[in-house]
Amino acid sequence: MQDLRFSGIDSIIILLAYAVIMVIIGWLAGRGENIGKSVSKYYLAGRNLGIITLFFTLYATQYSGNTIIGYAPQAYREGFSWIQSVPMLTIVIGVYLLYAPRLYTIAKKAKFITPTDWVRYRFQSKQVTILAIILMLWGIGNFFLEQIVAIGTAVSGLTGGTIPYGVAVIGFIIVMLTYEWLGGMKAVATTDVLQGSILLIGVIVMLIGGITLSSGGATSISENIAAIDQERIGVPDLFTNINWISMIVLAGFGAALYPQAIQRIYSTKSERTFKKSLARLAWMPPITVGVVFILGIIAIQLYPGLSVTESEEIIGLLANDIADLNLFYYWMMIIFFGAIVGAIVSTADSVLLSFSSIISHDVYGKYINSSASEKRKIKVGKLTGIVLVGLILWIAWNPPGTLYQIFVLKLEFLIQLVPVFILGLYWKRLSSGPVFWGMLIGAIVAAGMTIAGYETVFGIHGGLYGLTINIIICVVGSLMIPMNQEKRKKAEILTAIKTKTNNDLST
Amino acid sequence: MKEPIRKPWIWVIMGLLIIFNAPWYLPEGSIEPMIFGIPYWALISLLLSLLLSAYLSWVCLTQWNVIEEEEANNEEEGD
Repeated sequence: MQDLRFSGIDSIIILLAYAVIMVIIGWLAGRGENIGKSVSKYYLAGRNLGIITLFFTLYATQYSGNTIIGYAPQAYREGFSWIQSVPMLTIVIGVYLLYAPRLYTIAKKAKFITPTDWVRYRFQSKQVTILAIILMLWGIGNFFLEQIVAIGTAVSGLTGGTIPYGVAVIGFIIVMLTYEWLGGMKAVATTDVLQGSILLIGVIVMLIGGITLSSGGATSISENIAAIDQERIGVPDLFTNINWISMIVLAGFGAALYPQAIQRIYSTKSERTFKKSLARLAWMPPITVGVVFILGIIAIQLYPGLSVTESEEIIGLLANDIADLNLFYYWMMIIFFGAIVGAIVSTADSVLLSFSSIISHDVYGKYINSSASEKRKIKVGKLTGIVLVGLILWIAWNPPGTLYQIFVLKLEFLIQLVPVFILGLYWKRLSSGPVFWGMLIGAIVAAGMTIAGYETVFGIHGGLYGLTINIIICVVGSLMIPMNQEKRKKAEILTAIKTKTNNDLST
Repeated sequence: MKEPIRKPWIWVIMGLLIIFNAPWYLPEGSIEPMIFGIPYWALISLLLSLLLSAYLSWVCLTQWNVIEEEEANNEEEGD
């Protein structure tokens, strides 16, 4: 028996088949649609995503490869307290409910393309818009970096180096760009259906395999863990509990405001479709991260005493042992690897599409060449996508110390958009000046704390301190600025959902 | 029209489900009793998590109806 079960030709065949299928789906999605000539067709699939597609695209976009590869080691190291990963991803639906019903309605009426469209429409301020663009692009760049590194590590690790890191990264980038260019958001969302469903099946088969391996049942697992390390099974200390709640809040707000997630709100066919998809999505955290959590716990018993670096390989170790059970499990695990790669690619493609849309529509179309045709804007988006890929590749290969540290700020920056998206939708007094300063100072606080090495203080994340200051500035500042009748009326029209007024995008 | 943000009780219940998800109110380090081999506190957290999923799913389906009828009418008219 080999050490690495997947280093042979089988995994290469599966990955190649996977790549070919994704390109074919992209081609089919874009065929005859003329998607290269309409920004709403290219970036939002013509605002026509149905329940199944929307559900899977939200699922595959929110749950990246890291949800599987990274969360299991976390459960291994932290023990039972990592059960927090389940509500952490469920709460995203709750945050959607705070703002998405109204944003969807306004977006449909005003025909938004990018998340920035809302910011420009509501605050009508260049300063606020540009700062929001910077924060979003930063978040997106960070996401993309993570996914690229993950693809390389996953594929080279899982094939035992048969496919080297660099080949994996470049190969999958070419595949991703190809299907994205062929079919835009429709291709991205349709490939998500494939990627999401394989991921779901893979996770469940892995759970069954893991339980078979650990044959002793839950009682013996818990008893063994209690014998190995009490801390990983007992009620956590106060610090961990505070950190637990802080994580839920940070991830909930941050993930619900991912630019690529906001664009899915715009792509929805109807409110009915949207709410049905979200209602189903609310059950995915227990089914996905809940299962991954159990796998991490099983691993405590199966592979005791791993160091931090060694524990990162848990999913690989488990998959190897499960594949050894019999031929069925062997092939299921090969497909599961395809699913992990798919989960990474499905997050990366959405992020890249969102990046291209912001650059082409908001930066190029609004500030550089406002008379550009839609076809030209899409072309600019595609080309700058390549530039981003190049830049991120460079960073992925040579992480430049502090810059890398700053770059890791993702959720911390994205949650600074909370006042813009949530408060701005409901509170008419919210003015652009305080919003700008709140967002800027909030981001500086979050970044400053991270760079200074204080990612959390009293278990609470720097991003949340930044957000608190941000909200205080927004609220106090807005209350201090007198509001005339005209301004109030304008804000009322811009945030209304029942008016028949034609709220066309105005700059 | 039903817009979730207009109903404070939705957010109070959600907040409670989150705050009690972390077992800060239980004695630190305690494990027993084990139920189905799972420490009691983890089971409480898990149940609260499932309750959160069920609750949010229910809120989506029943407490959110902003322009659904308008859209349905438009569709009938062939808009």
